[in-house]
Amino acid sequence: MRILFYFLPKLAVAAITMLGVSALVFLSLRMIPGGYADVLLGPFVTPEAREAIAVRYGLDQPLLIQYLNWLGALFQGDLGVSMVTRAPVLDEFLRRAPVTLELALLALIVALAGGLPLGILAGIAPPDHRGGLLARLVGALGASVPDFVLGSLLIFVFSVWSLWLRVGGYVGPIEDPVGNLRVMLLPALTLSLFGIALVLRTTRDAVLRVMTEGHITTALARGERPIDIVRLHVLRNAAIPVVTVVTTYFGFLLGGAVVVEVLFSIPGIGFFIFSGLENRDYAIVQAGVLIAAAVFITINMLADLAYALIDPRVGSGRH
Amino acid sequence: MSHIVTCENLVVTYRASNGPVRALDGVDLTISEGETLAIVGESGSGKSTLGMAMGRLLPAEAEREDGRMDVAGQPVFDIAANDLRELRRDLLGFVFQNPMVALDPTMRIGRQMQRAMGRRAGSEEIHALLERAELDDPARVAKSFPHQLSGGMAQRVVIAMASARTPRLLIADEPTASLDASIRDKVMGTLCRLRAESGASLVILSHDVHMIARHADRVAVMYGGRIVEQGPTGRVLDAPVHPYTRALLKAAAGHEKPGDWLTPIPGTPPLLSARCAACSFEPRCTVSEENCHTTRPEPREVEGREVLCLLAGTQTEPKEAAR
Amino acid sequence: MFSILWRLDRLSRFGLGLLIFLILLGLVGPHLPLGDPMRIGAGPRLTPPSWQFPFGTDELGRSFLPRVVDGIRATFLLSAVAVIITAVIGTLLGMVSGFFGGFADQLVARGADILFAFPAILAGLLIAAVMGPGQISAIAVISVATLPLFIRVVRAVTLGLASRGFIVAAQVAGASPWRVMMVHILPNIIGAVIVQLTYALSIGMIIESALSFLGLGVQPPYASLGSLLRQGSAYLTFAPWLVLSSGAVLSAAIMSVNLTGDAVRDALEPLKGRSLT
Repeated sequence: MRILFYFLPKLAVAAITMLGVSALVFLSLRMIPGGYADVLLGPFVTPEAREAIAVRYGLDQPLLIQYLNWLGALFQGDLGVSMVTRAPVLDEFLRRAPVTLELALLALIVALAGGLPLGILAGIAPPDHRGGLLARLVGALGASVPDFVLGSLLIFVFSVWSLWLRVGGYVGPIEDPVGNLRVMLLPALTLSLFGIALVLRTTRDAVLRVMTEGHITTALARGERPIDIVRLHVLRNAAIPVVTVVTTYFGFLLGGAVVVEVLFSIPGIGFFIFSGLENRDYAIVQAGVLIAAAVFITINMLADLAYALIDPRVGSGRH
Repeated sequence: MSHIVTCENLVVTYRASNGPVRALDGVDLTISEGETLAIVGESGSGKSTLGMAMGRLLPAEAEREDGRMDVAGQPVFDIAANDLRELRRDLLGFVFQNPMVALDPTMRIGRQMQRAMGRRAGSEEIHALLERAELDDPARVAKSFPHQLSGGMAQRVVIAMASARTPRLLIADEPTASLDASIRDKVMGTLCRLRAESGASLVILSHDVHMIARHADRVAVMYGGRIVEQGPTGRVLDAPVHPYTRALLKAAAGHEKPGDWLTPIPGTPPLLSARCAACSFEPRCTVSEENCHTTRPEPREVEGREVLCLLAGTQTEPKEAAR
Repeated sequence: MFSILWRLDRLSRFGLGLLIFLILLGLVGPHLPLGDPMRIGAGPRLTPPSWQFPFGTDELGRSFLPRVVDGIRATFLLSAVAVIITAVIGTLLGMVSGFFGGFADQLVARGADILFAFPAILAGLLIAAVMGPGQISAIAVISVATLPLFIRVVRAVTLGLASRGFIVAAQVAGASPWRVMMVHILPNIIGAVIVQLTYALSIGMIIESALSFLGLGVQPPYASLGSLLRQGSAYLTFAPWLVLSSGAVLSAAIMSVNLTGDAVRDALEPLKGRSLT
């Protein structure tokens, strides 16, 4: 019950947010210079053709009606058709989604495997310990090297010394699992550096904060071993900010890591959206942004649910 | 008579961003087995630091600079981490000011009790201990999270946890200050009853003079990181010798008769950065003399208690400050 | 204020020093005898680094070092302008939202949620589609990405302050809401805003350079560190110094901002931790 009463308003807020996002995305495409018809037919159109297009796409109706029609179509899974290939946009995205999902999961696993243990160690290290400085350095470095810089560096290194890994030439995980890993590992590593830094910094700060809380003193006072204090009292109490940044990071990855997918020629949704922009196929850009935002909002809603499971106070009305 | 606590010339400083702060400026104190000692003082007097030092539970920026603290014969600042842990687990029990902060918000009470009692404690033992701390529905309490309890219930849980392993020394830091006035006496009564049952010594850190008068055998008054007056409760509270103790009692509300005045102590307690070379109360003292400003007082036996005042006992009765 | 400087540890001092050095370099760079960033054929095409051309030359024979120095200025300037504008707007919105509550609060908070839901680079693609690529688009993208950060932090701090005695007292005494916000609330949230400002600046620099790397930010002949990287990545395998030098300088610039931000935050809100013995 507690969780339900806590979660329903979150659901409502998510719906409102999604509605706002859709309105912005809808308006943005209508604001493209030259208008919708020019985009569809190119700049050299006759007024008659322009008229025909306007009627066919309902562009002669008031903006609000257009938006509602468009929204109605969205609910039926109609995200429009590619202006270039005439294929339904949703199908194109669904076809590419597994690639991006795999990349996102790989990057997330590496980020957690690297960031969590380092962050916990840096947080529980005694103040003035050298490990804390090292963690800060790794954290600052990881948050400062942009993915395309690291990616370019890796591409350079691995194009000189191949070292088993490959750049470009994507193969699917089902046809060739090993070949797939050889292609995906470098982009995943590139994406994960920022994640490692993010998870490390957040975990360290959260652990440091919990360490000064009164119940840690209580645990010390009853003679608990350090390992038990960390295991039983520190981790769970430090989890909420970590969940927040991890979900934000994962949502960002799922939205298509445009730069890395372009850099490594990974045919995921980020690459697809970028090529949509290059081909002036704005229906794809529009749908891509909408999908990414929807995924992001959903992931954040799951995070809200996770908060309630982690902290019994969440949603109880008392703090 | 054997002593559970022996503290000699203990000096503790906190590293702060604008220089060190000397919280304890040479404390000498002994606590006997089974006695109840109250340490009184304003906030900033160093009483919490002294209490926490008994379990070496000081924050990371605190440092023992000089002196020693022996608890149950072990020098707490000089023993190995393992021994310290065993000392805390088996011989000490702590009750903190705010039970809501002292309990882990994400763990059920029963589980936290079990951590305090030891792995073998089953739910029956847990319920029995909660019942001894006068919690009516121990099964429900054990299943609850801290935020689902009232402040008084949570403090009873903390008291139960502190006495889980029949400690020889209980340290209670303002144990009722965060509770509603209506239940303070009852919670305090529970603490004292559990102490009496186990025969442990009890240290109460408090600024509530009247609560102390009822429960403590002995009183130690702290000011500026030193104990300025200590002796049997009746003697110290009924006939205070140190000017600070007098001022403190005048400032305390609660038992005044109609028409009586409460007199706040002007000024604020000192923030020491180094060893105080004079009487630290001298700037606020209404009866101070020339050499109070230049001589550091040492403990003297006056009228059946130890006092840190150069003038105590030299005058028949120090002049009352005019109202 | 200056006493904070002396209490910084080595890493923070290094970051602050690097930041000051890079900003000075960007400012006085054009007057240093580094060579002309625009002069085509100053040397042979794509020569490796040497005494004459410390960062080598690009595909048009331009000396790369002065181009990188120019890029530092462009990257800092563009991100800083975007982030400062956003900080002012975000602080005002956050204060109004936290102080007045009610409908205004809902409106601002939901607006922040909506902006926050757009992944930055994708928002960049959309904005580039609408406004065309260029500096204005880049500034817009940085604003969209960092505005929610300011609004959320300022709103949270203001909410905490609004019920405090001195704020209530000022209101009871008849101060106008505008005066209460400017005189009583703003000074108390400025620290949090500055911390956010440094993080937003680092995010802004990453976004700007990523957009320029994709060809959507600064347009030729002007160069930011990101567009220099884009230019160099075409010659990555046989002229790696272009990517390596601009990439290293870009990373160092972002890191100097991040380390400075950490130092500011540590000074305002120290995290002490404790030992577990």
